[in-house]
Amino acid sequence: MPEPISTLGLCFAGYVSLSAYAKGGSAISVEANAARNAANAVMDSMERSQAIFGKKTAAISQLRALAIECGQENWDGDGAAAIDPKAILNAEAIVRALPIGVLLPEFAPEPDGSVSLDWIHSRTCQFSMSVGSNHRLAYAWLDGTDSGHGVASFDGSTVPPRVIEGIFAIAKNGHAPIGTI
Amino acid sequence: MATLPSGLSDSISDDEGLARFLTQSSQFTTTLVKPAAFLPNPKDHQTSVSRHGPEPKADLWMLGLSAAGTRTLYAAAIFKAQTVRAAQLEVEADEPPPRHAVITGWPWDTADPDLQRAKQKELALKIASQAHLLRR
Repeated sequence: MPEPISTLGLCFAGYVSLSAYAKGGSAISVEANAARNAANAVMDSMERSQAIFGKKTAAISQLRALAIECGQENWDGDGAAAIDPKAILNAEAIVRALPIGVLLPEFAPEPDGSVSLDWIHSRTCQFSMSVGSNHRLAYAWLDGTDSGHGVASFDGSTVPPRVIEGIFAIAKNGHAPIGTI
Repeated sequence: MATLPSGLSDSISDDEGLARFLTQSSQFTTTLVKPAAFLPNPKDHQTSVSRHGPEPKADLWMLGLSAAGTRTLYAAAIFKAQTVRAAQLEVEADEPPPRHAVITGWPWDTADPDLQRAKQKELALKIASQAHLLRR
């Protein structure tokens, strides 16, 4: 009976082969150079994807840890609701949907069972978004003495442009604590 | 003006120090308190605080440990009553327990809970921006 081959194993084998090919060889034909360049481009893309995915994976792990820490009512000793599992799923979807170049947030529990996604540049320069069990995102920002708030809808795959603009506005002078993707 | 069992006045002056005790490590960064730490309880629409500034620390942490109960006490957010009032909220004495007070006046709109949360978040950001993190 044949042994099952895992997809991960195949991917790894493919990566190793591609990596070896991209690194070089003695072929000098135009076709060989074109193939090597193509392999290099694929390698670059894969490595960039891994770097991005790694940071997002770490962020999602933090979210799941938060769900466990605050999974019971009264986690704050002041009558807070347990973190809603749907809020965690929505927050994970937002993290996955953040475009390349947008900072990853920090997370905090909210007393109504929502999760706060925070982009903190400095004491007076912050963007904070509340993610609950529905797809409406409540957000607010503080930029010096200027502040505001709003609500935007999240379709599960694209972060609303108003939210992205708010994050960029806060980040324009620096970097959030977790780093860029 | 009445005196409370703690010996404090029932009126809280603008320059009086307040402490919000933090029982989750995710409520603060290495240097700053996150806005979610100040959001009101959904049941009574208030945020519990203690009437205590950064000193003396032994008394502050004793109050904090009492408030935290079985939970880990990580830190305190220290700010002035004036900060709360500047955000168009109010802080009122609410004993017992001794030195307990509550931040009241949070926007509450059951017709649009998401907009309500956004408004609350803006006010919480204003308080957080003026609060000082004191780690235990």
